Amino acid sequence: MKCLKTAVLVAGIAVWPMMETSATPRASTDFTVTEQEAAPEPLVIVVNRMNPVDNLSSADLRAIFLGVRSYWNNGRRITLVMREPGEQERRVILHDVCGMNEEQFRTHFVRGLYTGEILVSPKTLDTPLGVRRFIFNVPGAIGYLRESDVDATVKVVRVDERSPGEKGYRLHVP
Amino acid sequence: MKKQGKSAAAKPQLNPALLFDRLFAAASRHNKLLLLIVCCGTAVISSIVIRDLQDANIATQEHYRRSVHGLQRIGELQYDIQETRRATLYALSTSDSNLQVTYADQSRDADKRVSDAIAEYEKQSKEPAETAVAARLADDWPKYLAVRDEVLASILEGSIKDAVDLDLSSGVPAFDRVRKDLDTVKQLYDQDAALRQASFAASSRRSVSRLIGILCFTFLLSSAAVWTIQRSHMLGAIQLAKLQMEFVASVSHELRTPLAVLMSAADNIADGLVEGKTALQKYGAILRHQSRSIGDLVDQILLFASTEDSKRNYALERIEVGALLAEIVAGAEGAMKEAGAVLDIRVDQNLPLIMGNRNGILQCMQNLIGNAAKYGGDDRRVDIRAFVAPGREDSERAVKISVTDHGIGIDPSEIPQIFDPFYRSPRVRDAQIHGTGLGLSLAKRIAEAMGGWISVTSELARGSTFALHLPIAGGDESTAETQQPSATPS
Repeated sequence: MKCLKTAVLVAGIAVWPMMETSATPRASTDFTVTEQEAAPEPLVIVVNRMNPVDNLSSADLRAIFLGVRSYWNNGRRITLVMREPGEQERRVILHDVCGMNEEQFRTHFVRGLYTGEILVSPKTLDTPLGVRRFIFNVPGAIGYLRESDVDATVKVVRVDERSPGEKGYRLHVP
Repeated sequence: MKKQGKSAAAKPQLNPALLFDRLFAAASRHNKLLLLIVCCGTAVISSIVIRDLQDANIATQEHYRRSVHGLQRIGELQYDIQETRRATLYALSTSDSNLQVTYADQSRDADKRVSDAIAEYEKQSKEPAETAVAARLADDWPKYLAVRDEVLASILEGSIKDAVDLDLSSGVPAFDRVRKDLDTVKQLYDQDAALRQASFAASSRRSVSRLIGILCFTFLLSSAAVWTIQRSHMLGAIQLAKLQMEFVASVSHELRTPLAVLMSAADNIADGLVEGKTALQKYGAILRHQSRSIGDLVDQILLFASTEDSKRNYALERIEVGALLAEIVAGAEGAMKEAGAVLDIRVDQNLPLIMGNRNGILQCMQNLIGNAAKYGGDDRRVDIRAFVAPGREDSERAVKISVTDHGIGIDPSEIPQIFDPFYRSPRVRDAQIHGTGLGLSLAKRIAEAMGGWISVTSELARGSTFALHLPIAGGDESTAETQQPSATPS
């Protein structure tokens, strides 16, 4: 039985890249963000406008983006919206929020889905517009965008009581 | 006189036949005016017809525009309602989040168009049934959209089963209600279109009836005008023929009378019944007088014939009016004496010279004086006056030579006809006063050929004044001040 579970896990890791939509550049497992932050832009966490949440702690964010937390306080299921692997915004989230690289993140979700600890895998969208429209349509959705991509269709959430652009705001994308 | 007074005092009776005759006579006299009225009437009727057709055309275009617009609006509404649902179902058919978002956007775009169309329909609704269905649609559509939003959210979350369950349990019934509302909208539109079509058909029928009526009226009016003009021409021709017959009869009579005297005198002389110098002188005078009468009559007829084309030109010369009048009076003295008439002549001093033809003026004045003597009644006085009077235009002056009698006068209704050739008043004919009916016509033609004209004023039983107006000769206008006739007899 243990052998079977191991085989499924290995197969899941192998199939994961094929589940992604387009031929995305392979993300390097080791990346350094700090060296490219010459003119960093805040990376904002966005939710549906109907979502009552205004602030999330780093721990909450981590739990949400790792699929550990599956429901909002109002009972709505959380739907995680991610950009394509290799995108700068995704790298920042994986690194600064999840503390993982792409490979680790993928492995984490395959394992979580397999064990039933995670209910739904993240939704992957090609463009910032797609992210915005998805979050607009799904009341329980949460995602991230560059500050310049944000519009009125989504709601920006503070992180650790700090708004994007505010001193001490920790999420930035080069 | 008494008869005339009575007839003049009699109250006019409203006899339709008489009224028609008068109208017809008036229409006959004014053919051009009648044609103008017919043309104007036809133009007015044509404009009415054109306006009617334009109105019908506008109504048709409006009907077509409303029909097309209504159909287009309903078609677009139907399509967008279907598109809203179709895009939702498309989102259900794929697991690609990007495509699902695209379909969700398509559905939302379509539902926005539907909401706008419903708002427009609600705004334009006038009938109670339309308002009610618009309100129902405006209520049912957001209810469906609420379900649709939940279905879309479930699809995007990846909960396909939840989405399908929700759609089947709530989405389909909500959408059916919207579809029924739309069916009601279509039924109302069909009813409205049918009503408008019926109204248009009725309007079209009315328009056609009106058109036929107007055309009939135009046809009748034109026919009446043509009939009147034809009849007028025919009556004119009859009148002319009658006048010519009367002329022939009159001329025959005028010729036969002196001829009979001539023949009788000639017979008496030939048969030796006339003896002695005195008797021969008497017969000679008779023969001369009657021959002159015949000659005068023939001259007048020839003169009329020669002026009939109204183009006869006279050689005009500067003439002194006083001398010419003296000559005319001298020439007419014998005839006046014979008729028992007395001439009273007054010529203004310093009268300017006139432009005219001596023979023409003589002929004119002979006719006017002869008529004055002929129709002078019991009072045989004939007044002749010559003075400067206003011309046809205010700036002009002319010499006016008037001949006034104090006789039977002329009925005002006859004045327009007295200058017509061969015209003789029935009163004159009844009174057995001989004449050809050419004198005044001839005088008028001659006056006009000399650049002058003849005027007339008359009053029944009081007498008439005929006046010859002749232009003042060039260079003599300085003395041509308007003067009243002086009391100085020439």
